[in-house]
Amino acid sequence: MSSSEAGTAIAAGVRYGMVVDLRRCTGCQACSVACKAEMDVPLGVFRTWVKQIEKGEYPFVSVSFLPSLCNQCEQPICLRNCPTRATYQLENGIVVVDPHRCIGCKYCIASCPYSVRYLSPLKKIAEKCEFCRHRLEDGLEPACVNTCPTGALVFGDLRDPDSNVSKVLKRNPVQVLKPDRATFPQVYYLAADSEAMEARGASEGQER
Amino acid sequence: MNGDVVTTFNVFHEMPLSILIAVYFYMTGLSAGSFILSTMAYGFGMEKFKPIGRVGVVMAVVLLGLAPLNLIAELGQPLRFWYLFPYLNPASPITWGSFLLTLYPINCLIYGYFMFKGRPKLTRAFGLIGIPLALSVHGYTGFILALGKARALWNTALMPTYFLTSAMVSGIALMILVVMVRDRFFMPEKKINRGIVSTLVTMLLITIVFDLFLALSDVLILLTADTEAREAALLLLQGGFRPYFLGVEVGLGAVIPLALLLLPATRRQFKFIAAASVLVMFGILAMRYVVVIGGQTIPLS
Repeated sequence: MSSSEAGTAIAAGVRYGMVVDLRRCTGCQACSVACKAEMDVPLGVFRTWVKQIEKGEYPFVSVSFLPSLCNQCEQPICLRNCPTRATYQLENGIVVVDPHRCIGCKYCIASCPYSVRYLSPLKKIAEKCEFCRHRLEDGLEPACVNTCPTGALVFGDLRDPDSNVSKVLKRNPVQVLKPDRATFPQVYYLAADSEAMEARGASEGQER
Repeated sequence: MNGDVVTTFNVFHEMPLSILIAVYFYMTGLSAGSFILSTMAYGFGMEKFKPIGRVGVVMAVVLLGLAPLNLIAELGQPLRFWYLFPYLNPASPITWGSFLLTLYPINCLIYGYFMFKGRPKLTRAFGLIGIPLALSVHGYTGFILALGKARALWNTALMPTYFLTSAMVSGIALMILVVMVRDRFFMPEKKINRGIVSTLVTMLLITIVFDLFLALSDVLILLTADTEAREAALLLLQGGFRPYFLGVEVGLGAVIPLALLLLPATRRQFKFIAAASVLVMFGILAMRYVVVIGGQTIPLS
């Protein structure tokens, strides 16, 4: 999995990625809460959240979840379109925003096919999930992964064949969101429901 | 599928680009259109366009002086707008715009200066330099949307051409109105120059038809391309943007003006030509609104 089709990969070094194992997700939103607390995410915006859908008719009903976060794309359109190079990609693949460089033009937010960026209502700059890079530097996992009570979020180095994430990827069929967008996402979904993966818009009570 | 799918939780996303961006696109379009009309006489030496040479460059400069203010007002960090120059990203169409929006007005000013000073050779030179600049300054805005590839309504190779054509449509309509007002109220003879107006009307007819053809091609292909594209087309044809697209952009902004400018009963009367031009200008404003705001109303997550 480490050799991405995009062809920009560096031979050696770490490439972080994630598998979201939906067989294990219970939709508890602990990841959303941990992210909010860890990153001090302002009210009304999210770096990660769990989309939830219901289908069927009683008694044949089902609920599906879809934890949503930045896909840390191999070919990020947000990065290509950023006019000040405030958005850049670390060697480990994480797409980050320089808060001192961003002018808040919102073009990255408009261009992102996954709607995982937002304009900070406080700082008026673009912000997004950065896989908790400050925690990674200290040898910790991202806050959402650390807090997930069922181990549905599997995080690690995609280039290390012995990492948990690589093992899960090797042994299971996985999908990514909107593969047709040529962004080459590095967040993979295991056993995701196709209707949960579709764009659905805000749920009732979330619209402003 | 048994039963409906209900989204029980999903977050709301604020629309990133506001109506200021649509207004900005509208104003650069008008400026580029006016400039190109101005160079017909002073760049290409077509004598019959002489009456709009000066007023064309004045409109181009005024509109392009105001247009970028919309962009700065739209920024989350307006005081950092100058970062666009030292920290430029050649891959980003906004960076192309930073330089075009600097060079184009400067060139317009020089061109206008020599025109008003009566230096035909230099006027012609800067007029000809200005043509690719004027085309780029509006064409690049089409690329901004086309490269915002998340949005089905934007992500089409037609967008730069569509934007350039609508720029010419609105620029010609503006020039018809400007010429009429100037001749009627500010000239000693108080008489509208019928020659230039009918030349502009012919150009307006041709560009409106081409613009309609592009709109039709766009919607037809969107309808059949893929799920998101189909959703975008249906938004314009049946959904919330039907009044702005079918009603204002196509109906009031193109079909009715075409009728007014072609029917024998109305086409020779200045009041109907003026009415048609006003409608066309509203139609193109609606087009900018439909593309910028409509493109962002379809959810992505």
